[in-house]
Amino acid sequence: MTLIARRLAGHLARGFVMILVVATISFFIINNIPGDPMAARYEKLVEGGMAPEAARQAVKVLYGFQPDGTLWQQYTEFIGGLFRLDLGVSVSRPGTPVLDVLTDAAKWTVLPVLAGTLLSFLVGIILGVYAAIKRTGRLGDALSVSGSLLHGVPQYVLALLLTMIFATLLGVLPADGSVDILYEPGWNAGYLGSLVEHALLPVLTYALSAYGGWILAMKSSVVTVLGDDFILAAELRGMKRSIVFRYIARNAILPLFTMLALSLGLLLGGAVFIEKIFNYPGLGWLLIGAVNDRDYALMGGAFLLITVGTILANIVADLFYTVIDPRVRSGEEVS
Amino acid sequence: MSATLIPETGSAASTLRRNFWRGVWRVMRRKPSRLVGVVILAAFVLMAVLGPMLLPSPLPNDPTAITQPPSAEHWFGTDPQGRDVLALVVTGSRYVLLTAAITALITVVAGTSIGLFSGFKRGRWDTVLMRLTDMKLTIPGLPLLLVLATVWRFGSPWQMGLVLGLLGWGGVARAVRSQTLSLRERGFIEAARGLGLSTTHIIGKELLPSMAPYIAMNMLIAVTGAVYSQVGLFFLGVLPYESDNWGVMLNLAVFQAGALITPNAIGYLLGPLLAILLLTLAIVLVVDAMDEIFNPRLREE
Amino acid sequence: MKRLAAVVTLLGLAAATAACSGGSTNKSGGTGGGGGLFTTIDVNRPGLEASAPANPYNPKGNSFPGYSSMKLGWVKNHLTDPNQALPGIAASWEIAPDNSAITLKLQPNAKWSDGKPVTADDVKLSIGIAYTQGSTAFSVTPGAAGAAAEVTVVDPQTVKVTQDMANPSPKFARGVLDTTVLPAHVWSSVLPADFWDKLKAARGEGADAEKAREEITGLGEKVIAFAPPKDVSAGPFVLERVNPSEALLVKNKYFYNAANVAPAQVKFLNYTGNEQIWNYLIAGKLDHAGFTAAPTDVMNRIKQAPGNEVIKGYSPVAVGMAFNQSKKPYDNVHVRRGLAYLIDRDQVTKVASPEGGTPALTTSGIHQKAAQAWIPDTLPKLEQYKPDVAKAEAEFKQAGLVKKDGKWALADGSAWKVSMHAPSGFSDWLSAQENIKSQLVKAGVDAEVVTTADYPLYLEELNAGKYEVGFWLMALGPAPYDIFQRLYGASNGWANVAGKVEHSAPGKNGNWMGGPEEIEVGGQKINPGELTAKLNSSDEAAAKPIMAQLAQAANQDLPVIQLWDYVNTQFVNNSRFTGWPHDDSILRMGTGVLPSGVWIQQGLIKAKQ
Repeated sequence: MTLIARRLAGHLARGFVMILVVATISFFIINNIPGDPMAARYEKLVEGGMAPEAARQAVKVLYGFQPDGTLWQQYTEFIGGLFRLDLGVSVSRPGTPVLDVLTDAAKWTVLPVLAGTLLSFLVGIILGVYAAIKRTGRLGDALSVSGSLLHGVPQYVLALLLTMIFATLLGVLPADGSVDILYEPGWNAGYLGSLVEHALLPVLTYALSAYGGWILAMKSSVVTVLGDDFILAAELRGMKRSIVFRYIARNAILPLFTMLALSLGLLLGGAVFIEKIFNYPGLGWLLIGAVNDRDYALMGGAFLLITVGTILANIVADLFYTVIDPRVRSGEEVS
Repeated sequence: MSATLIPETGSAASTLRRNFWRGVWRVMRRKPSRLVGVVILAAFVLMAVLGPMLLPSPLPNDPTAITQPPSAEHWFGTDPQGRDVLALVVTGSRYVLLTAAITALITVVAGTSIGLFSGFKRGRWDTVLMRLTDMKLTIPGLPLLLVLATVWRFGSPWQMGLVLGLLGWGGVARAVRSQTLSLRERGFIEAARGLGLSTTHIIGKELLPSMAPYIAMNMLIAVTGAVYSQVGLFFLGVLPYESDNWGVMLNLAVFQAGALITPNAIGYLLGPLLAILLLTLAIVLVVDAMDEIFNPRLREE
Repeated sequence: MKRLAAVVTLLGLAAATAACSGGSTNKSGGTGGGGGLFTTIDVNRPGLEASAPANPYNPKGNSFPGYSSMKLGWVKNHLTDPNQALPGIAASWEIAPDNSAITLKLQPNAKWSDGKPVTADDVKLSIGIAYTQGSTAFSVTPGAAGAAAEVTVVDPQTVKVTQDMANPSPKFARGVLDTTVLPAHVWSSVLPADFWDKLKAARGEGADAEKAREEITGLGEKVIAFAPPKDVSAGPFVLERVNPSEALLVKNKYFYNAANVAPAQVKFLNYTGNEQIWNYLIAGKLDHAGFTAAPTDVMNRIKQAPGNEVIKGYSPVAVGMAFNQSKKPYDNVHVRRGLAYLIDRDQVTKVASPEGGTPALTTSGIHQKAAQAWIPDTLPKLEQYKPDVAKAEAEFKQAGLVKKDGKWALADGSAWKVSMHAPSGFSDWLSAQENIKSQLVKAGVDAEVVTTADYPLYLEELNAGKYEVGFWLMALGPAPYDIFQRLYGASNGWANVAGKVEHSAPGKNGNWMGGPEEIEVGGQKINPGELTAKLNSSDEAAAKPIMAQLAQAANQDLPVIQLWDYVNTQFVNNSRFTGWPHDDSILRMGTGVLPSGVWIQQGLIKAKQ
């Protein structure tokens, strides 16, 4: 266990450095973004009939929320703020700490991403085993080609097609929002039902777009673990299919858990399209909004949180790998 | 039979080269459907090169026939300016494919050289470069592109391809490095050195050819990703744009013409959507065929 | 296998916790479902923010003007009289004939949703808060036009506000009536005890006054960030809970006109793109939605949905193609006129904004409906710039342009390309520019459309003078000054600070239009910027001749080509509620106000039996 602890410490240190690097990069990118959100706000007030003088004062109040000082001062303040979990104040949401906005949105991303990934993982590994065993047959071939195709189709294409079928043509599932406000939040059937109903299409899209990848990964993992001989021998001996399945599962599935952890981390950022198309109020949706509003603090914060999620997933994946790989467990370093 | 269980990556380059063409022939003969991918891909390239030359510029518009459903005259209908959607898809393919080509070039050059260098030199350089690659692979690409989109103007395919290429070499670098290390472990390089061959020769004549398929496959994967993120960025509407870009067409179809609501605009959505699907199909088929040719474990004797 | 099972259980647990925490964002209480639900959407403000406070001054605040927040009055967009309003917290008011003061009588039965009465002290505190935010009537900028001088509580039901007559504005009363009223027993902590002394100091001159102004601006931040523990509303509804997609409001039983408020609950839907609103409308979900641009096909589907009705009215906005006159060849008026003759505005409007706009009759700087009210005699005399290729060619020739191989080029023979800019999210502007481009190219004028990622960037680059041609919202009524300051205001060099007009050279202080300082109109040289500034303090009678002159100037000199005048389109559904108003001035309320809330609280809307 000490080895795992040592590895964990190393990972945390590296993860920490990386977060700092990413924070620095995003700070400097974001500080160089052209476009003036205050000008847009001023313009909007004037277009709404406010006198230009009054609008100038109104905008000045909002400016008060923005950091001032030299670039270096702003930078040290920004990094210092990170340690206090203070990500600054957003332009479009003045008065509300960025962290609050982010954690609110993160909840909505985590829920469907988890559900979709687990669903696709389960379906994908089962079909993957099948595809590996039957890969000489037509069905196995079709499974792997459909796997590659679904894996290849961009999420937004899938999402658009699903919206077209289920929300527009059939009209059976909502393609907007998170939950009906009429239901009181809590453990009641109405609320949970509405939650599931709204999450169904996003989850389905995640699952469909990811499961092709799992089929392929599982198929190749199974093939690696067993080789052709085993299947051949098993088929010759007429071994029960369930026993074959169990044998395969035990040995071929474990490496996939590492990938599972990794993909969970990446999905946090990959949710952008799905959330945009289904208007699901998660992190990706927030990030697009922040980009459109030129909301520097929010943009930086969302990007940082997504990156931190990925880094953490990487650490988890690696630790998992350490636990399951006997070579690593015994202290051997694997490059 | 049991020999096939051991990865064949270390077999000499010349055999692999010979195997390559034999593999191509075998796969093509056994499953002609694999050829379809290459044909579609070629058709797309042809369309991107010749298409815009054959069509008038700017494309003719008919203000009396805006957002029309598919018809005999306009196979995919017209856009909200009254232009033929199919013609827009054709002219738009140039940006997509040019971007893809530039991304491919950068991915291959940067990925291969970094991977080779890292695998060859090992030691400290390897650690530094691989940490860098790890980091690049860790930073989620699409959110980074979203943030970058606010600073950069991806107006030309050159700029877009450059950025996507610089973001995409990680996979190729990893693959090349592990191949190099693996060849190295088998004493392949030491043997070549022993024969008095120069490093350039080893790399150029022996290493690269044997790794070419892996590079090509990883490149294709990177290019697919690049095409999607590129079209996706325009679809999200965070970039300034031209009207005959597939992503822009998707964006306008959904958010301006209401393609998910009114059947009249359905062609405007389906045009670019099918183009992307077809391109995906082509690349998937090609990768699948390559996989079949090069992956000995998936190859059936 | 044990380990595998453990992992799966763990992941399942994580999903359950996420589901749980996903739901616990909001306050509990209240009942779900039930009849009398009114569903609407705030088209001015995309993006509900669940964590934002119920604060009307917070840009994302969960406060809905007309529903859960009240103003003194609800100002209307009358064609010529900016001071008309429907009663809000003020039941009635009297405006002094010279606009020097307004005396407000509060609703005698007005109560907050916690049962406490609404008093003149609430109003005074609300005015103090308005000062910290910069509002038209309550400004700390010295000498600002139409600023209030004195706020007096006459009795618990009466408040008098006088105007600083050094630089009076004809729309002073509008500014006062347009003030949000907040409960003093909740909000009093945001202003210090000596606030009114500070305000007095801020109105003076010198370093002390400057410091006081800074302090008041600083208080503004506190106001924006202020989060009341729960919503306390004097309006017909009070906020119950919000999630990122929807907000729920329930009836405030203490509201003074509660007996005539039809819905028991109001649901606000969130949106980020117009296509969502179209979807809701086609599904017949919305009882009311404000102006939303929609293509013709979509509009037809909306009209077909059961119960849906589209009410059209006046909207004091127009869009114009504006020139940067410091760039060649747009400095030449004949080039601008030639372009005006080439562009078929009917076609542009048909392609770009078929339902949301009517083609501009001509370029007058005024919305055509307002023009008929303000300058009925001048309007027919203006050049209409009907599409006419021969006239366009004559103008181009007069400007010295040359035609080579069917293409127009600059006088020195170099290529000329009309480069139009628009932000990429503005689909109607982009459609218009694409259409103009194809029209121009057909006529031998090379053209291109260049998009900018978003509006903030567009404005920054436009202000910096980087564009040759861009689109520009204009004719913002109803006050005459607001109409013309879009053409002859800061963007064209004339800054109006404290009643003094100063002209900056092109490229300086935000002067990106770069028009001439003086224009000859009908044989007479006028300074359009100074005339426009004069409108800021003119009454209706004095304003009319000035507006006629300015309209002529805009028509001859063409700093912009007016393309289409916006139409105010309101979507309503008669299946659940009826009684929708069709009167223009009630259809469109002041900025940020949700008109259906005002209609409901006036008792206009009835539940369908």
